[in-house]
Amino acid sequence: MKKLLYALLIAASASIFVVQAKAQVIVIANNSVKASEVSKNDLKDVFTGASTSLGGGSVVPILLKSGTANEEFLQAYIGKNDTAYRAGWRSLVFSGQATMPKSVDGDAAVVEFVAHNAGAIGYISKASPHEGVKVLTIK
Amino acid sequence: MKRLLVGALSLVLGAVTLTAQSLEDLNIQIHGYATQGFLYSTQNNIFTTNSTDGSPAWTEAVLNVGAQPIPKLRVSVQARYFLLGNFGNAITLDFASADYKANDKFGVRFGKVKTPSGLFNEIQDIDPGYIWALLPQSLYPLTSRNSQLAHYGGVVYGTLNLGTNLGKLEYRGWGGERSYPSDDGVLLSSREAGIVFPNGFSGPIFGGALHWKTPVSGLMVGASDLKQPNWNNTQLTDTIPGYGTFSGIDNSHANNVPSFFARYEKKKVMVAGEDSRYASKGSLSVPGLFSETYRNDQRRWYAMASYKLSDKLTAGVYDSQYVDHQAVLGLARYSKDWAISGRYDFSQFLYAKAEQHIIDGTALGFDTDMNLGGLKPTSKLTILKIGVSF
Repeated sequence: MKKLLYALLIAASASIFVVQAKAQVIVIANNSVKASEVSKNDLKDVFTGASTSLGGGSVVPILLKSGTANEEFLQAYIGKNDTAYRAGWRSLVFSGQATMPKSVDGDAAVVEFVAHNAGAIGYISKASPHEGVKVLTIK
Repeated sequence: MKRLLVGALSLVLGAVTLTAQSLEDLNIQIHGYATQGFLYSTQNNIFTTNSTDGSPAWTEAVLNVGAQPIPKLRVSVQARYFLLGNFGNAITLDFASADYKANDKFGVRFGKVKTPSGLFNEIQDIDPGYIWALLPQSLYPLTSRNSQLAHYGGVVYGTLNLGTNLGKLEYRGWGGERSYPSDDGVLLSSREAGIVFPNGFSGPIFGGALHWKTPVSGLMVGASDLKQPNWNNTQLTDTIPGYGTFSGIDNSHANNVPSFFARYEKKKVMVAGEDSRYASKGSLSVPGLFSETYRNDQRRWYAMASYKLSDKLTAGVYDSQYVDHQAVLGLARYSKDWAISGRYDFSQFLYAKAEQHIIDGTALGFDTDMNLGGLKPTSKLTILKIGVSF
């Protein structure tokens, strides 16, 4: 019984950790983007090239080249690691279905791009400054 | 002189900067990949290679250039160097197309475009995109890949949102002309028998596909149908040693190729399957020599599964089967291929694949000229492959 309780405690702690890990990344969008919230499925569609619109308007995703926020976002909302994720985009490029999204170094570059490009949508660490952009709520 | 050099250098750098800015504005991207395969088989040589001795004769290199001058318009072109045994050793055009996507519900692509039939057709050449070294040959024969991959014409496509409880429906419709060059794999057996189609085969095709992304997360089910009207008066020559070369024609009757498929992909697991049938008939005549009709009824299917063992390592297995119900009884009537595969990603740019096949039957991939001692009923095939992509 004690072992079972320990196991449940560990599982509960792990789930809390996962929730906290997800909360470390936020999704930001240019102020022209009509939506103020986005479902996980729609977010996945936008960042995997399956969709180019959100809330009735066109959106353009921007990616981080690497880093913790990048890994956390891909694991939490796409369900893939960086290698598998970019392989998916390459399949779209090599079949003539899409252009690879822009990738930039660091949260500041993402904020800069999103703030100055209509329809842009990206993700950054929650702790990074993000003035001039709107934060989308994930449903 | 120094001033002149500095001036010239400034001019060149200025032009380069200006060009770079223009390229940036056009959102021009260059991507590519290259693979090198090694084949070793027992009993029979495969794909016109000397694989029973071990053969490195499988090389591919792809260069893709794309531009997006305005958000809704993309243009892209992709060229490929392909070598497989006696096939290829040439550069071919995979596609060259312009794509206008009005919104998620409607887009159109035209030029030389990839044909979106079945589960894998439009991505069957993209080796970095999947775990397998060799896709199931029952539906995606490597030696006819370049012909079946694309057509000259157009594709309309879009995604319809069916609501939160019904998922999404992706549609594709296409039409245009498909060409099989004279050295295509489907013509290999007739070529080795002395019947050559000097201009290959070509004619109109059209079709459609539906992919339903079901409310079950990760599950897609779909169907496609590719229709081919009559392809008449294809020129051929029949060479009979000691007698000479005679001209004739082939008339291929209208046919269609239905496919039904499903894929489930979630977290570390991928499971997929496809079932297809290709039934056709036609006539072949060489005046003064012979006139005959031919039929085939190919039943083809595969089932596959893969599992991501770690971030870098993925393992998979598939069973691929083919039988032509109109073919004469014997080894060349069928093919049953069990494959077990592994892929290791060293980085997002470099990967390696290892795959073992156990093949029963000789209907797919084997020819007589490279197996002069006669084809044996079973073969084991080992494939090692390394690839880079950027």
